[in-house]
Amino acid sequence: MKDSIPLAPLQRLAWFNLIVFAVAVALYLMAVPFFAGHFHRTLAAAAQPALGLFGLCGIWGFGSFFLYDRKRRAKVKLDEREELINLQAAAVGLAAFWLVFVALCMGVWAVLTYVRHQATLPVGFLPFLVIAGLVVQTVFQSFAILAEYKRSCGDDTH
Amino acid sequence: MTPTESAQLKNRIRKLRFDHGEMTQQELADRVGAARQTIIALEAGKYAPSLLLAFRLAKAFGVTTEDVFQWDGD
Repeated sequence: MKDSIPLAPLQRLAWFNLIVFAVAVALYLMAVPFFAGHFHRTLAAAAQPALGLFGLCGIWGFGSFFLYDRKRRAKVKLDEREELINLQAAAVGLAAFWLVFVALCMGVWAVLTYVRHQATLPVGFLPFLVIAGLVVQTVFQSFAILAEYKRSCGDDTH
Repeated sequence: MTPTESAQLKNRIRKLRFDHGEMTQQELADRVGAARQTIIALEAGKYAPSLLLAFRLAKAFGVTTEDVFQWDGD
């Protein structure tokens, strides 16, 4: 007889990260037309300040609570296989981070140099580029965690 | 360990569970200090455990590690 398997702590963390990201994306998509209408801007001009809604991803920091044992708070509830999954997913996330970070850096530099004929990068761009890279890293890592759980223990629950 | 090598490592965990009073995957997981998903992956031959976990599994069934795991490799 098959029964449902309760989510492992790492799976809960991954779902939490993806849900927070999905909410941030949804709010962003709603905020752009709102800002455009409210502040009489074009959609393109409203898109940049609306990026602030991705600050919601800051609550990812609370996700680590999923990994701790409620009875023994200092002990992380991951066994050896889950630690391996986490490590592999982190490698996937790191690869995604570098790809996105380098692409964004080069893209911003190219636009500023060849389109706006501006020699220097505004200092405000750097934290934005790093945060964008980290958001992509976390999302890729979460997907990789869920994919690995799905691959290694799909429907074999009897 | 590569997936091919992992496939060469057979185990009798499912049979041993049923021989031990139809022990559930969760009960076995609790005994050896692993997640239920890890037991599922082990039974499906999709994960090769560490020596420590292998010994824990054998101890949980009261048998030797050779009774739990068999390696078909060269």
